[in-house]
Amino acid sequence: MLDITLESLDIYTIQSTPPSNANVLVVTTSKTVTRRQYSRGCSDGPIVSPAFSAARTTYSSGLTPHLADNSAAEAAGEGIFAMHRVGSAGNTSNSVRNRKEKRLTYVLNDADDTKHCAGINCLAVLKPPGPDGNDYLFTGSRDGTLKRWALAEDGATFSATFESHVDWVNDAVLTGGNALVSCSSDSTVKVWNCLSDGTCARTFRQHSDYVTCLAAAQNNSNVVASGGLGGEVFIWDLEAALAPVSKSNDANVDECSAIVNVLGSPVSNTSLRPIGSNNNISLHATQSQGYAPIAAKGHKESVYALATNDRGTLLVSGGTEKVVRVWDPRTGSKTMKLKGHTDNIRALLLDSTGRYCLSGSSDSMIRLWDLAQQRCIHSYAVHADSVWALASTPTFGHVYSGGRDRSLYLTDLATRESVLLCTKEHPISQLALHDDGIWVATTDSSVHRWPAEALNPPKVFQRGGSFLAGNLSFSRARVSLEGSTPVPVYREPSLSIRGTSAIVQHEILNNRRHVLTKDTAGTVKLWEITRGVVIENYGEISFEKKKEELFEMVSIPAWFTVDTRLGSLSVHLDTPQSFSAEMYSADLSIPGKPEDDKVNLARETLKGLLAHWLTRRRQRFGAQIPANGEIPSGKDLSTRTLTLSRVEGDGSLENDYAVYPPFEFSVASPPSIVTEGSQGGPWRKKSTDLDGTEDDKNFPWWVLDCVLNNRLPPRENTKCSFYLHPCEGSTVQILTQGKLSAPRILRIHKVVNYVIEKMVLDKPMDSTSVDGNFAPSMPGGQITHPVLPPDVSLATVRAYIWKKPEDLILNYRLVQGK
Amino acid sequence: MVDGVTLTMGVAGSKLEKALGDHFPEGERYFGLENFGNTCYCNSVLQALYFCVPFRKQLLEYYTSNKSQGEADENLLTCLAELFSQVSSQKKKTGVIAPKRFVQRVRKENEVFRGYMHQDAHEFLNFLLNQLVDILEKEPHKVTSENAVNGPSNGHVNGVAKEPLVTWVHKNFQGILTNETRCLRCETVTARDETFLDLSLDIEQNSSISSCLKNFSSTETLNAEDKFFCDKCCSLQEAQKRMKIKKPPRILVIHLKRFKFMEQLNRHKKLSYRVVFPLELKLSNTVENADSEYSLFAVVVHVGSGPNHGHYVSLVKSHNHWLFFDDENVEMVDESAIQTFFGSAQEYSSNTDHGYILFYESPDADDK
Repeated sequence: MLDITLESLDIYTIQSTPPSNANVLVVTTSKTVTRRQYSRGCSDGPIVSPAFSAARTTYSSGLTPHLADNSAAEAAGEGIFAMHRVGSAGNTSNSVRNRKEKRLTYVLNDADDTKHCAGINCLAVLKPPGPDGNDYLFTGSRDGTLKRWALAEDGATFSATFESHVDWVNDAVLTGGNALVSCSSDSTVKVWNCLSDGTCARTFRQHSDYVTCLAAAQNNSNVVASGGLGGEVFIWDLEAALAPVSKSNDANVDECSAIVNVLGSPVSNTSLRPIGSNNNISLHATQSQGYAPIAAKGHKESVYALATNDRGTLLVSGGTEKVVRVWDPRTGSKTMKLKGHTDNIRALLLDSTGRYCLSGSSDSMIRLWDLAQQRCIHSYAVHADSVWALASTPTFGHVYSGGRDRSLYLTDLATRESVLLCTKEHPISQLALHDDGIWVATTDSSVHRWPAEALNPPKVFQRGGSFLAGNLSFSRARVSLEGSTPVPVYREPSLSIRGTSAIVQHEILNNRRHVLTKDTAGTVKLWEITRGVVIENYGEISFEKKKEELFEMVSIPAWFTVDTRLGSLSVHLDTPQSFSAEMYSADLSIPGKPEDDKVNLARETLKGLLAHWLTRRRQRFGAQIPANGEIPSGKDLSTRTLTLSRVEGDGSLENDYAVYPPFEFSVASPPSIVTEGSQGGPWRKKSTDLDGTEDDKNFPWWVLDCVLNNRLPPRENTKCSFYLHPCEGSTVQILTQGKLSAPRILRIHKVVNYVIEKMVLDKPMDSTSVDGNFAPSMPGGQITHPVLPPDVSLATVRAYIWKKPEDLILNYRLVQGK
Repeated sequence: MVDGVTLTMGVAGSKLEKALGDHFPEGERYFGLENFGNTCYCNSVLQALYFCVPFRKQLLEYYTSNKSQGEADENLLTCLAELFSQVSSQKKKTGVIAPKRFVQRVRKENEVFRGYMHQDAHEFLNFLLNQLVDILEKEPHKVTSENAVNGPSNGHVNGVAKEPLVTWVHKNFQGILTNETRCLRCETVTARDETFLDLSLDIEQNSSISSCLKNFSSTETLNAEDKFFCDKCCSLQEAQKRMKIKKPPRILVIHLKRFKFMEQLNRHKKLSYRVVFPLELKLSNTVENADSEYSLFAVVVHVGSGPNHGHYVSLVKSHNHWLFFDDENVEMVDESAIQTFFGSAQEYSSNTDHGYILFYESPDADDK
């Protein structure tokens, strides 16, 4: 019974004796554990001395290989180790530390791929030229994807997902027959073949901030305009932009960093042919040289709306400057500025001739401008809040408008007669007319089609309930204050495309494997992020209560961060902090692995995430991979490997690729990988769509080093220092006065075993009395105290019981056997 | 040296008394304060506070009700109360007082003020008011009784002392700002209230307090690298932020940021900009939109061209007379002289006396 593995309990004596009055170890029950600590977690558990933290910086910023070798470090005593680190602090630079490493993010998908899981920002309807073709609806969502829906009289069928943007899709337009152009908060504009299976043909990275809006000329595919934050507006000639790379020595080469898919066939301006699906993250990216869009320069502030006429001879823009600016898209020069709105301009329309312009603003007004006269000829006070979306009949006789007040109105521009068509549950973000109906996108993930008599708007007015739009913003507000809000003409949409509820709230639990979420429907779910699955659906219950209920007194370093901006969980991994969390194999119930093996959570998660890619890659490279797992393109990495250390412990290489069950991700609804390599900007792709042909340069070097070479960056301190003292008044022998060091995850029962072993070595003891428990003592001679549970880790004791920056002091006493 | 000062003071004192003649206000005392080596930052602020009548009244009341306290309980509040009481109970109408105990206490409490270096008067005022608040908050029973005396009850009287204590220092100086942030995407407005004891305003050349206040509550866009995390959007978005005065204080203390940190020089520089401060101020950018009117009653003036040296004096209005306090020295000045402290329109000017901290009182708050 004494063959206990004392794997890493090193003893080391320090000169100064530990403070004698500090031998307090208060063991508390969970009710006295503060919630503050619960949320803070354990990253602040181990508090290292200044010398130590300085040393850590040094350690990670490149040093001598022998020190970097973790196994050597393991063998060395904590004190010696620390001294070495401090010693080299002076002559190493922090350059490695200072540079921000690329992060790897994975987005967890709960339901199937056929539904949006966040608000819809944009709509586009495709009507095929022939009579027999399907009508298609394109939706772009805050979940970062666009989806195509085949429309029929009785319903809409999911037909493709366009996944490549890594942030909200803000707008989308169809142009030139088959080209779908989308823009996103990831600051890119992407071009897709709208009838493909979701292939991104091209990414334009001209913008430096969120791209908020697009405008395309119906009859001229050479004009697509993109506008965004920071006042950036670019006018793209799609034909030129998508043309094969020409050998131009243009001076603007560096300005345009568009990515070319080398497999893409030359694109004509009438159609974008489908592009091979096998390599669609533009992995073999090259710089598109020679094409730069026209910049419409002169915006002082962010642009939130754009519109162009059918021929693309006029461009109007609006934004926080509160003015409508008119541009010549062929030159990017300003032609006029129209003042009138008193707040952000969120929606714009131009009639086909380019003479009239409609604008919708956060000042709740709709204005009609005559560009020939350069003035506002009508202002319509229809909405009670910001106007976010406009759609007009082809003749520009009527306008449909929606906005923050969740209401959809139809207004006769000439007679100023207005009618409330329907009220939604969410603010309206965009509108698209389709035959006699209108598609309405809201901040919810579902899209609805409403009857609108778009082919003959006056028919709606015949149903009654109309009112005359005022021309001052307060007049409409007054109407609603007086309670005479009009009754909507329609109660039910004619067609619905349902989405799933977006996650809006989350909490990372203390075990750092589970995340509790709440979605827009109020459903509370528990996720296991190392597998990317929902392990419990609690239904509509109190998030806060469940959070309290799931509280666990466990301290594990924060190895990932989470956000929910895409409506689903995005888990972010950064180096080196993501490698700070370890667990024992036994606690993860990994079959066939020695229970004392330490498992690095980030490493196993990365292996699980990239399992598909790794398998395919191995199949491709076959025997080319050297036995030691060196990356073929390791040249770039060689400079960094100095700073790296091999994973300690589980040595055998066959094990390296094995994915343990707690890290197996779903194949049916695989997570999406979002990351950035050494070139080409960030990309997003389903983990199962990675086919192994991707260039290693598309991944952060540290991810490759981890999954291919089994090398982890130098970690945050994984050790915990402590003293072992006999309980006050106890007759137990004193083992040592020195400081001990052990892994932070070491369980108390191991410490007990250590004490027993030490005692037994000195003086054999009665086997019945060696279930030696830890009885921490209080000052003042009180003797009985709660005993530390055997299964808590040193880190947990430190974070929840000790709660002090000083080194932990554990007291022990013998419990007489029965 | 001290004797010399006393001598001139004797003359000045009589001069002041002569100047006021029969108009010398009943019961009022005008005393200079001795300088213990660069303590003008303290003297100038003390004079301004002394002539802040509601504050003085309450401090003297506090002194009367806490007289019994022993030396052991001495703190900044008791020292200040003692000093004010000392001044107000002088037999002579004018003269000089050495605020020795108070200055010693300040130096004991805060090492920043311990040395004999030149100090920032605004920093001192801020420190002093916060210390007074802290001390008052630590003696809840006394505060309750004070509250009972001082007007409408506000919860503590009922024994429900959960909410933060509102001491009489708060009642005089505290106002509430509201910080409104509107996400430009979902247009949700997030409002957050914060309290203040004084307003620090950025200044511009040839401007006025009204325009500085306007700038203070002008809209600021959070954009580019500084976007706002919108809880509703669960993401970073552009946002517009503005500060409004939600509850104007009874005594509005305005600090003009005349000491600007120049990054290229790596040190502070004094801005001698001309900033007009009116005798009567209308506060229009409040949430309630109800204009609050204020009258100027004290100005702490910084004399000198740099931030690390120079001198502090104060201008104080008492019973419709303006007085000039320069440490031991007290003089009468004409109201028209106030404008010489606005600052200069040229960068280099021989006039280096600039209004630095302005004390405004809301007259309508008096009757409550």
